[in-house]
Amino acid sequence: MADILTLVFRTFMSQTGLQKDLSAAPPPPTARSALLVGEPNISRSVLLLAAVTAASEAGMRVIFFSQTQIQSLPASLPIFFFLLLKKIRFSYPRTVEELLQQVASLHEPTNTSPTPPSLIIVDRLESFLRAPGEQSCAAHLCALLCDTAAFLTHILGQQSSSAAPCRVLASFQSEVDPGQRGGEASATQPVLDVLDRYFLVRYTLDRDTGYEATAAGLQEIWHIYLSGSGVTEVSGAKDCEDTPAVAQDRSLDVLLELDPSIKGGTQSLKSKFLLSQKVF
Amino acid sequence: MLKMRQFLPAVAEQLFRDIQKSYQETSQIPDDLLIPLKFVFGPCALQALDLVDRHSVTCLSSPSGRKAFQVMGGSGCLYTCFVSCHYCPCPAFAYTVLCRNEGLLCKHILAIYLCQAMGVTQQASVSDQQMSLLLSETAAPWHRNVWCCVQQVDQCPQVHRNSMDPTPC
Repeated sequence: MADILTLVFRTFMSQTGLQKDLSAAPPPPTARSALLVGEPNISRSVLLLAAVTAASEAGMRVIFFSQTQIQSLPASLPIFFFLLLKKIRFSYPRTVEELLQQVASLHEPTNTSPTPPSLIIVDRLESFLRAPGEQSCAAHLCALLCDTAAFLTHILGQQSSSAAPCRVLASFQSEVDPGQRGGEASATQPVLDVLDRYFLVRYTLDRDTGYEATAAGLQEIWHIYLSGSGVTEVSGAKDCEDTPAVAQDRSLDVLLELDPSIKGGTQSLKSKFLLSQKVF
Repeated sequence: MLKMRQFLPAVAEQLFRDIQKSYQETSQIPDDLLIPLKFVFGPCALQALDLVDRHSVTCLSSPSGRKAFQVMGGSGCLYTCFVSCHYCPCPAFAYTVLCRNEGLLCKHILAIYLCQAMGVTQQASVSDQQMSLLLSETAAPWHRNVWCCVQQVDQCPQVHRNSMDPTPC
């Protein structure tokens, strides 16, 4: 999944950036599931860009689940990208039960012919997880998403499709300020712990409120922290054999030029991403 | 074999491989494997072996090729588990594994691993729509009826295998 997000960042990278080093972009982890944690507006924009990028660059069939209707798209999208929207199926389940039913039915022939979806996106998981017992419900939903992706990967493999494997991408708004690591646990932390069990890579989006960011005017700088077992596996695989694999957090600095007009809950991005990678 | 082994530590994976090898050769699990099983998985090891003895694990398949496991618990409740990752709707999984992070898995998932290693998993067929329903629902009393119907259908070749009509066959 991280390969799609990396592609998103590359496609929409700033041409006027301060630092531009594509080779420093994170290596695409083998992990097929990724979780975006951060503000819902920016997360939704990244999800939409990921959906469009997957449909255009990789020819994938995408299914996009969201509780609230998409009313606007990132303004930065070139006009021809809008033609690709027919490759994306938007679905608006109202409850977690409806979402579970719709995900569970993706294996049925009506959903897999002629080709099954190879990217499943869920916008704002937290909006579906408000009932009591949400930890177990979150585990059920994530396990179903991962199991469905594994099954669809098998089907895509049988069809020798270039769109294989099937990936899962979801967003979640945590009450924890991502900039305050080690802070007090919030009400959403137990759910986030459950999500981390199933999503192999987590992208934590954190807006930079420092001096440089303020001086950038309309642009906002976002730090994206990569964590999870998917990232660790890649780091470990790259280590020498006699060097113990050390879990490494990776981060991206992303410069976003924001369109002042925000429509329908989707923050429009004149999306110019600037990547610089730090490993620490 | 199960795809969800990636979620297990290496010691548990090796243990299941040893159990599989030993059971294929001798049709039993020796004490020198039962002891580490108890050591790794704690008290749920014995409960899982009890479920194995009672043939409580069924692998459901649908025409689309989708599979899922169903385990009948000691109380008669049916729990649907996934093929490729760890999840069980039982209270022990929610409390011990998810909330307290004290266990790797519950007795139902352990029973699935053991049945797969020993080759004693029951097989049954359901329709694609029934599979969707089973995957999306948490444990509910009607699951027992579904399972009974599945068993009847599976054992009764003159009835269409995809039929879930609870009429006696």
